[in-house]
Amino acid sequence: MSYLELSGLQKRYGSAVAVDDVSLSVAKGEAVALLGPSGCGKTTTLRMLAGLIEPNQGMIRVDGSEITRLPAHKRNMGYVFQSYALFPHMSVARNVAFGLEERGRPKAEIARQVEEALAMVRLEGLAQRRPRELSGGQQQRVALARALVIHPSVLLLDESLSNLDAKLRDTMRHEIRSIQRSLGITTLFVTHDQVEALTMCDRIAVMHRGRIAQIGSPEDIYERPATRFVAEFVGRANALPAERGSDGRVTLWGAAQPVTAPVEQAFDIFVRPQRMRILPLSEPAGDATARVTGKVLRNVFVGDHVEVLVEGAGGQLTVEMASGSPVPPEGSEVAVVWRAQDSLPFAREAA
Amino acid sequence: MTASARLPLLLIPAALFVLAIYAWPTLLLMRNAFNEVGPTGAMVEAWSLKTAADTFADGFTFELTLNSIWLSLSATAIALALSYPLSLFLFRTDSRWKGLLAVIAIMPMLISSVVRVFGWLAILGDRGLVNGLLQSLGLISAPLKLVFNWTGVTIGLAESIMPYMILALLAGFGQLDRTLEEASRSLGASPFRTFMRVTLPLSLPAIALAAGLGFVLSMSAYITPKLLGGGRVFVLATEIFEQATTNTNWPVAAVLAIYTLVLLLALLALSNVVAKGLKR
Repeated sequence: MSYLELSGLQKRYGSAVAVDDVSLSVAKGEAVALLGPSGCGKTTTLRMLAGLIEPNQGMIRVDGSEITRLPAHKRNMGYVFQSYALFPHMSVARNVAFGLEERGRPKAEIARQVEEALAMVRLEGLAQRRPRELSGGQQQRVALARALVIHPSVLLLDESLSNLDAKLRDTMRHEIRSIQRSLGITTLFVTHDQVEALTMCDRIAVMHRGRIAQIGSPEDIYERPATRFVAEFVGRANALPAERGSDGRVTLWGAAQPVTAPVEQAFDIFVRPQRMRILPLSEPAGDATARVTGKVLRNVFVGDHVEVLVEGAGGQLTVEMASGSPVPPEGSEVAVVWRAQDSLPFAREAA
Repeated sequence: MTASARLPLLLIPAALFVLAIYAWPTLLLMRNAFNEVGPTGAMVEAWSLKTAADTFADGFTFELTLNSIWLSLSATAIALALSYPLSLFLFRTDSRWKGLLAVIAIMPMLISSVVRVFGWLAILGDRGLVNGLLQSLGLISAPLKLVFNWTGVTIGLAESIMPYMILALLAGFGQLDRTLEEASRSLGASPFRTFMRVTLPLSLPAIALAAGLGFVLSMSAYITPKLLGGGRVFVLATEIFEQATTNTNWPVAAVLAIYTLVLLLALLALSNVVAKGLKR
């Protein structure tokens, strides 16, 4: 049973279409990421949900009741802004109390709830500070506490971690996820960062040009991308230009492969770099193994792994090897192999 | 010399200019305030406080002070009530006419105040636009007295300080971030509550700046009270001018001028204290 439901949502600005047709069902307590590049319509979708902009078409339901045209202040949604949007003229405690005060709760109850909310985000001692006296991570937590203290029906997070440095972002990811899980709050998370989407959410909706390109679990999205765009945007992939013989077998870099593909005019085979291995030329490949040969151009040490750039008859590809394992010398001729099932065919886009 | 040590050199031209045309005359003015006026009306060189004592003993000085403050307060209040919503609109609008609208809003600054005053006479006079319209509609039988009195001066002054106040408001709105209003809405505050709790408090610095500027400009305005007041409106600025030119009583003019300056500084200091109190 879906708790939050978007159907056929559309937003146009003049002739430009920001959100074309977005439909999405979210179960109670579920965390869903809207993942996509900038301009894909993910923030516009979130703002329509919060009532900050009005859709041209479509419908939004929460818990069975339609809220498509309900003004923002009657929606009871917790919104964490990318810039945090803390009120600079109020203390941390007043910021967190704001939503409760607008709901006319008694003073004692507000004080208690503010204290609990600040404890939840581990900011107990900072209640009387002004937002400008806090670090980025602390401001982020105040924004989260302020959004959660009103017991919103849905929590909306707009690129909430993008202003933090890498290390802090990592901490906040786990913190937000564990708070979200323990409260069981339905959450929609807008991000362009795939790691954020993969680690923080139950499901991911990948958005492209105002539409949802694919929706599924993080594993689904990563292992079984539905479109070429998803395969390119989520994780990294080698795109090998492919030819298809009359028997349906695929030829890559001039070598026949144990891979079949649907009939398409022109297509590429996508393979994740870490699914590829490098073998000496002399070593034969197994039955269900795809294999191409080439020359090692360059090895790039990236810390936890090494990227090996291989050039062959059909172009270049990158193999990711665990660092510490023996790396083929630059200039040597090698075979690159991978399991046939890790080959994903996608039609080439018309230029 | 390092670049930062050379930096103050940039101040020299302005400093020389101000010294020549402001500091020196001000010193002469102060000197004049200690002179006396003889029985013939001729100025007598002296170092006495007699002129100042006589001026402050005169009840008219007190009346002028109240007139000036009251006129400046009302003109500033009217101008603020008109320019705050207007500036908020200009600050917020995404209209492609924004630049043009801003220019129109500050256009009165480009017109000489004498010309502007005659414009108001044409609008507010006995046979002016307003009275003509009201009479032809049959709403009034005799023309309303809208000029050559305090009403006319207040209206004219409010209009003349508005462009400056609009510019001050626009410059002071820096902190006003639309996301903060969205945050307020998302937390359950209606548009009106959002204005009261977020927009207005965050624009208080801008309001203080604009009001201070409007007040100072009103206190020192001479042409508008003189021409729109029709000789019936007496404020410090008009009196200083009368004393200096018509009466050629320089010592009294000097005393009043210094008094007005001190009064303004004191009022500004007071408003500063109040503004700090508001910020907490």
